[in-house]
Amino acid sequence: MTTLVPVTYKGGVYRHDEIMDLIDDLGGYIVQKHVMAQDVVLQSFVPRDDIDLIREIAKPLAGQVTEAPLVGTEIAVVSPSLEIHHLPHTACDIAEYLRRSGAKTNMVGLSRGFGKRIANLNDEERDIINEHDLAVYALGTFEECIQQKFPVLRRGIQVPIIVTASPDREALMRIIDPPVEGYVGGIGRIMHRFKRPEELAKLDELVDEVSRTLDARRDALARDPLSVFPPRLMAIIEERIHEVSMLTHPTPVTAQMEGLRVKLPYDPYAPAIRSLEVADGVTVGDIADVTPSRMRNYILIRIKPFSETRILV
Amino acid sequence: MPPLNYFVVESPDAVGREAYERIAGDVLQDLDLIKVIDRLHICVDPKVPIFVAAGLLRHMPRAIRVSDFANVNPGEKETVLDIADETYLAPLLQKLWARFGKENVDQPDRFTVVLPKGVVGDEELEGLVVADPSETLYKDVIYALQYIAPEGFKVRRQYIKDGKFYYVASEDTLPADIVERVVAPIFERMGVSL
Repeated sequence: MTTLVPVTYKGGVYRHDEIMDLIDDLGGYIVQKHVMAQDVVLQSFVPRDDIDLIREIAKPLAGQVTEAPLVGTEIAVVSPSLEIHHLPHTACDIAEYLRRSGAKTNMVGLSRGFGKRIANLNDEERDIINEHDLAVYALGTFEECIQQKFPVLRRGIQVPIIVTASPDREALMRIIDPPVEGYVGGIGRIMHRFKRPEELAKLDELVDEVSRTLDARRDALARDPLSVFPPRLMAIIEERIHEVSMLTHPTPVTAQMEGLRVKLPYDPYAPAIRSLEVADGVTVGDIADVTPSRMRNYILIRIKPFSETRILV
Repeated sequence: MPPLNYFVVESPDAVGREAYERIAGDVLQDLDLIKVIDRLHICVDPKVPIFVAAGLLRHMPRAIRVSDFANVNPGEKETVLDIADETYLAPLLQKLWARFGKENVDQPDRFTVVLPKGVVGDEELEGLVVADPSETLYKDVIYALQYIAPEGFKVRRQYIKDGKFYYVASEDTLPADIVERVVAPIFERMGVSL
């Protein structure tokens, strides 16, 4: 079985369809296509052995293929509020940097995430964060406040958490109990755009921390694989449910590590998705839970593991 | 780092002190207040919790009068205002409409306003106060301090008068004597009394 690796292709609009066809022919999947003026960015999964071939074909088109560890993941960037104290810098810069590594990021601005005594997390926020593969908490400056309010902000969160804040990594590890999956110190309330080398180094550290955490999850998934590879199910849905092509969202179907988010209303479309045939006699309903998402009225598909379904598509 | 004559940030948390120095610098720079603020002292203690900012303004901008941005040309039947800078045109028109009525204020083109002779004296018109930038400056300074202060510190007491300002904020109720106890000593350290 060929191993698919996440890569980003950056090149011009000119003849980029050839690259898309090539990835398709090689058995890869394009998770996200982004056209910005003359440039195209393709977030995709391609067979490991064929990366050099894509590089060679992309050479005359001045296209670049780089490994992007976060392709096919959806990450929540959690900001204590949407006030000017936390936005646009820090939270948006973090989200932007994670996107460059291939992730699909969503900003979750808490309604009451500020103040060490009054901070809290409501059920909607909790459920939305739990719909992601990982949550990055962009916290503030003081150890005292983080220690006091973080247990409240993480209540009920089951996905891995990475914390960023001003105190250094060791201090964060000391004050956060029980431990979270990752820590990045030195990113707290910052009121300017991240542009200095040391600030960008911190963002690189964050990407490393996120990909380390997600790699651990991928290893666990490899031991009990999913019934279908999410980008494959995504390709099937995009091909068979034509309404998806009419959506104006940048990612009408968002790939996650263990499922998909389909940005169609739940009530009218869930039965159609459930009965969609993935392979001979196997429908989406057999291998996945199709549930309503807490994010608007979208559909959330959670793919079941092989151990549960005994089906591998 | 802003070129203020006095800029001190105090906090028991060393990381926090450094961060707030940077935050204050960035905010003042962003809001273009560095030239306006002369001295600034900030104390933050998340344990209490309290945030205090106190300081002095450099100089207050004076009120803007008609003669600052327009030429008043008296004619036989009418007075013609020749607008040199449009910045204050909108508040000027508002004032003129309110005082002389819309039927008496004619604006044949963007840079000309015509008033009939006799409704107002030329000198009085030249001296008419159109806007007071210090009014918005007060708001800007308070906004900047609100922006610098930790977000959770919602209970606040603010003051800006005669070139002095302070901003005290906390998450909990502020004690009644907080100004005398905490703010006054800070002003003393800056060499002035509140």
